[in-house]
Order: sequence, then C-alpha cells, then structure tokens
Amino acid sequence: MTKKKTPFDPKSLKFLTAVSSAEYSKPTLKMGALIASVFDASHGVVYVGGKASEFHGSSVNLTRQNLDNWNIIHPGLEVLEWALDELKKMSPDNKDLAKIQFNSDHVYEEDGRVRVMLPDDKGCRIELVLREGELVDQLRKEIQLEGYDLAIIGGSQNKRYLAHSILQYLPSSVFVLQKFNPRKKYKLLLLVDDSKATDKSIEWGALIAEKLGWPVQTLTVSKTKRFGAGYQGAADKAKAYFDAKGIEIEQFFLTGDPVRTFVEFAGDNHFVIMGASTLNPVKQLLFGSKPIQTLKKTDVPILIIR
Amino acid sequence: MTIYIDVLFWIRQKKWLLIALVYGMFMHHFVTPPPDLTPAAFDALIIISMALILIITEPLPLPAIAMFMLFMQVVLRIDTANNVASSFMNDAVFFIMGSLMLAVAIVSQGLDKRLALGIITLTGNKTWRIVAGFTAISAILASFIGEHTVAAMMMPVGLTLVRYAHKDPRKVAGLTAALLFSIAYGATIGSIGTPSGGGRNVIMMNYWAEFGAGSVTYLEWIKYVYPMVLFQIPFTVFILLWTFKPEQKNLDSAVRKLVVDVARAGKIKGREWLAIILFILVFLGWVFLSEDFGLGIIALLGVFLYLSFGLVEWQELNRKTNWGVILLFGSAISIGIQMNETGAAQWIAQVIITHLGKVIDNPAILQGSVSVLLTGVMSNILSSSATVAVVGPIVLDLGGDQILIGYATAIASAFGYFTAVAAPACTIIYSSGLVKSKDFLRAGWKMGVLSLVSLLGLSLIWWPLL
Repeated sequence: MTKKKTPFDPKSLKFLTAVSSAEYSKPTLKMGALIASVFDASHGVVYVGGKASEFHGSSVNLTRQNLDNWNIIHPGLEVLEWALDELKKMSPDNKDLAKIQFNSDHVYEEDGRVRVMLPDDKGCRIELVLREGELVDQLRKEIQLEGYDLAIIGGSQNKRYLAHSILQYLPSSVFVLQKFNPRKKYKLLLLVDDSKATDKSIEWGALIAEKLGWPVQTLTVSKTKRFGAGYQGAADKAKAYFDAKGIEIEQFFLTGDPVRTFVEFAGDNHFVIMGASTLNPVKQLLFGSKPIQTLKKTDVPILIIR
Repeated sequence: MTIYIDVLFWIRQKKWLLIALVYGMFMHHFVTPPPDLTPAAFDALIIISMALILIITEPLPLPAIAMFMLFMQVVLRIDTANNVASSFMNDAVFFIMGSLMLAVAIVSQGLDKRLALGIITLTGNKTWRIVAGFTAISAILASFIGEHTVAAMMMPVGLTLVRYAHKDPRKVAGLTAALLFSIAYGATIGSIGTPSGGGRNVIMMNYWAEFGAGSVTYLEWIKYVYPMVLFQIPFTVFILLWTFKPEQKNLDSAVRKLVVDVARAGKIKGREWLAIILFILVFLGWVFLSEDFGLGIIALLGVFLYLSFGLVEWQELNRKTNWGVILLFGSAISIGIQMNETGAAQWIAQVIITHLGKVIDNPAILQGSVSVLLTGVMSNILSSSATVAVVGPIVLDLGGDQILIGYATAIASAFGYFTAVAAPACTIIYSSGLVKSKDFLRAGWKMGVLSLVSLLGLSLIWWPLL
C-alpha cells in the first residue's frame, strides 16, 4: 500500500508563539500573528516562565494565592493579557477578536499548565497558555498536547546552547526570529535540496511569498562542482511550483560548504526557509546537522520545516 | 525515529540522575574506602553526595529523592529498615510539617490587610521610613512565625504600594527593589531569631539532642541570637536604600490608595482575633512548654486548634502544604544521623581539621570559620534548611563547643542573600518577575559582609558575656 500524500490545507495548521515579556517579545508576537494570518492557522500564545525550586514552590504558590486576593495576577498572566491586547491592535478590523476579553479569573489548571479561558472566542482560534519550567521541555509538552505544527520563538541570547535542543526535540516545524526587525524589507531565501522536507518548504514558502509579496530566491548548494539529479530535480520542482502560483523567483546554484554558503548568502536581509534534517537523532546529537549549524551561525530569521 | 528522540530527550532531562547513579555505582564498586573509614560510613557519604547532586539539579521530584535516601540506607546495609524508619520521623520533622501547615492557616485569614494598615500607620508616607518599617516588621514577625509566612503576607502589601506608586513597576525599579528586598532580607535576617523562625533552627536543636550536646530552650536561643537580629535591622535598611536608590522619596498618593483599599476590609473580625489568639497560644507553648513537649508537637497542636475552630479546612491545608519537603527533611535528617553513627561525619571533620589546621592554627577560629563559610556557601546553592540538615553533623564533629558551633551554623544558613534559591522569602520576591538575579548580587554581598561582621561581634562580644 503506498502512502497517500495529504493535500496541503493551511487552515488546518496550528501555530504556537512563545512569549516571555512585553519588553522583549513584541517582534516575535507580531511575526507569529502575521504568519498565522498568512496561513489562516489557529494561533496559540504560550508564556514559559521560570519555575521556583521545589523547596520553595509551595511558599511561592501560597503567596500567589494571597496576591490573587489583592487582585495582583501572576506575571505570566500579565504577559498573556498584554499579548491578547497586542493581537487586537495588530488586527484592528477583526471584530471577533476585539470582542474577546481577558479575565484572569477565567483560568484553569490542566496537564501541568494554566489555560486562559476565552469564552467570547468565536472563530478567532486563539489559545493563551501559561507554563513554568525549562523552555524546551515546556514547549515540547505544549506541542505534543495540542498538536501544533509550528513553534515560533524569539532569538535567545543563549542561542548556541538552545539551537540544538530546539531543533532536535521540538516535534514541529520551528521558526526562530533572530534579530527580527518588523520594519525591515526581507527577501525570502528558500534552501532547496533533496531532503524530504523540501516539498513542504516550497509549499510554505510559496504561501508566505504570495501573501506578503516578498521577493523569493532559492539556493541549492553542492559540496562538489556536480549537482546531482536529486538536487537538480528539487530545484526544478521548486521553480515549477512557484511558476504555477505566478511567483517570480531567482535561482542560485553554488558550490562549497553548505552551512557556510547558506550563512554568507543569507547575510542580514533574508528570511530563510529550510527543511529539517533527516539524519538519525543520535548522529544529529553527536555531529549536528545543517539546520542546527545554520541556526547557530546565522543571525537572520529562520524557518525550519519538519 | 520518534522513539530515539524520546529516549534522547529523556536522557537530556535526566542527565543528572544518570550522572548521580553512575557516580554512586563507581564509588561503591570500584573505590576502596580510606582505611580509617568503615564501609558503612563510606556508603553513607556516597548516598549523601548522590542526594546533593539530585537536590541541586532537580532531575527528580523532591519526594523521589527523599525515598532514594531512605531505601539506599537499607539496600547498602547501613541500617535496618526499622531503624531507618525511626530515624526518619522526629520532632524537627513534626515542626517543619506543623509550621508549613500553620503558614497556610495564618495566611488564609487575610490578616495581611491589618498588617498593611499597622505598618503604614507606624511609618507614614516617606519611602525610607516605609522601607525601614517593612524590614523591621518582616524581621520581627519572621523570627516567630517563619520567613515564608511573613513573605507571603507582606508581598501583596509591597506590590500594591509599588503599583500605586507607578503604573509600570519597571519604571520605578529602585523603589520596587527596595520595597521587595526589605521584605525578603527583613524576613531572612529575622528567621534566625528564635527556634520557630525557620525549620533549620529546629533541625540544629534536633542534632544537638541526637549528638548528646544538650538541649537549648526557646528563651535561651532568643538570648543568644536575637541581639543579632536587632543589630542587623537598621544596617539592612541602610544597605537597601544605598543599593537601590528609590526614585520617589515620598509615597503619599500610593499610601493613601493603599489605606482606602485596606479600609474596605472593615473592622477586625472575631475570626481574625481568634486566629491571632491561637497563634499567641502556640507561641507561648513554644516558649514555656517546648522543653517538655517539643516544638514540633506544639506546632501540630496549633494546627489541630486551627482545624478545630474551623479557621482552615483540611482540604486547603492538604493542597497547599509541601509534603515533598517534609519527606525530604525527614530523610535528610535520617542520613545525617547515620553519618554520625557510622563515623562518616567525624571522618570529614577530621579531614577538614587536618588540612585546614595547617593554615589556621587556632582551633576555635578554624571550627567557627569552617562551619560559617561551609554553611554560608552551601545555603546559596541548596536551601538553607537542607544545608543545616547536611552540614550539621559534620560541623558538630569539628570539636569545640557544639552548642556555639550549632548556633553559628544555624545563623550562617540564613546568609543566602546572593541567589533567589536559598531562602523562601528570596524565591517569593523573585517570582514576582520584578527583581533580577543581579539585584541579589548587588545587595547580597553587602548583606553578606554585614551578617559576617554581626556574627563575629555576637560570638566575640555577646556570647562571652552570657
């Protein structure tokens, strides 16, 4: 029996944006909302905060319950309230979204997280979730629980340490917004090779380019001067797909070390889309992979499709 | 492929558990104990070092680490199951259990609003006076009812003032830090004042009894230690105002709004009076009856009274009490007792004396500085009570006056000013998201110097007079 390819239905997708504070997460939230609107996907916003040591966990909880009596809410809920307000500001025409009211009393704990109930949510498909603990662990749990297709994360200062864990352990596509400037004009750079995820990268890239009107470049890098049939075929497929959508693309074929070439080509004005590695997890852990190395070395926003 | 990722992820999350297990197996099977250390003592040291790795890195829930310490004593044949069970439960564990439940009972009465009004009436509107009031009240209350209870009650008062002072507390970061740290550091310096100020004090009293060092009454403890609490209060206020420099010198409008808020609670109710009277009874029990009944039993009696008068529901106590911590302290004290009985604690003490004796030739200075520095450093990594549970048996075997060394150790365990993990009050203010780790370092080193100087003064000037 052959495996039938599921038709690409952007509306069925679920995206998750991780926020940490009103101070630092605005660009991430803005891009998350933009990408979710491009796909018309449902959008979850998760705040992942630090967890108190178990020794003092109950004292912290006791204090928080007491703070509730004074109408002082959890700092994470404040961030989620801010996120909802920002989402409303970003879509001033969305009347359904405008009706949604945040109420810190309407929260409930389930599956090791706190979920904000949004009773007025009629068709906006928004989730607000608070989690406490280590970032990768909590995102992984949230993605597994809700079946998210894409996790959108802000560029972190300890990127080198997190890059590996984020790409290896999050069971979804990952979009890391490094040094993202919402006012900057980005070109979409699609890295095309013979990996399994290239097809999906092409579909996602085409939709983003179509909706946002960004110029598209595709880049195929070979270690040798010869471009094999797999690489050539993938590049042709990309060209055909974009042509069918009526999107003009520039194609580049370069030779050299793939990661170094990607990074040099991306510079600081590209929005990179590439497929996740197909290497087995142990090899990835020991030797890394192209996406992991690229994420570590580049400073531009990068979307890695799984 | 998913199964490999799941396994790798599990390894990532549990790497410290695996490291601890590999370390333990290697030490037990491949390392020969030093000639002057019995195999049982060596195994006790292996268990405690594995437990320390697990407690610091938390790859497992605390109750699991507690169980590990208990069953390993039996598996490695250090003692029998019945002996381990009897060393697990004692009056110190009763006290920790009782004080955690009393904290829930007291905090749930809503007395914080009365407290807020009382402080503001005393201090007025000036920022420095409010910081001084917060520090003094937190210190004095924490010395009797425990720092976590005080921090839980004072936090809403502090945060409300900050929010009334400015819509965005980050814009008045100096004021925010000064007020919140006055609660945390006030509660921390106060927690050494009486045995009931913190579980660690009672753990030390339990070790004194176990080690045959004699017993100390509630009032004797106060006589020896409380002067240090009083001495540190004004200096703590000075350090906080000097370090954080509040942006507003006067909180007139914020105080007015707070008073309006608090006034809505109306006059103090009968139920609140009853809660206060019951706590006073518990306190009097600690002062006058603890020698006969033990501090823990009296704390449990207090919980019984709160439940009997319907001031708190059992479901609430059950839900909000950290049973994992109780299990952990029970097992830490149990392995601490084994360290003494097997000779492991004496061996470590001897190693320290042999090595450091070459540098410091005065035994009293050596004993004092080792107990204070070891405890002070460890309390910033572990929690303060866990530090006393682990370090207590070692420092009491260093020689010299076990009671004085014990006081110094219990006091030094409150020197956890540098990180948010050491003291519950510090973790509580950190959880507000309004103070940063570096704030603990900025003010913490000054507090560390203050406390070391105060302890030195206490031991050199005050204790010889008693």
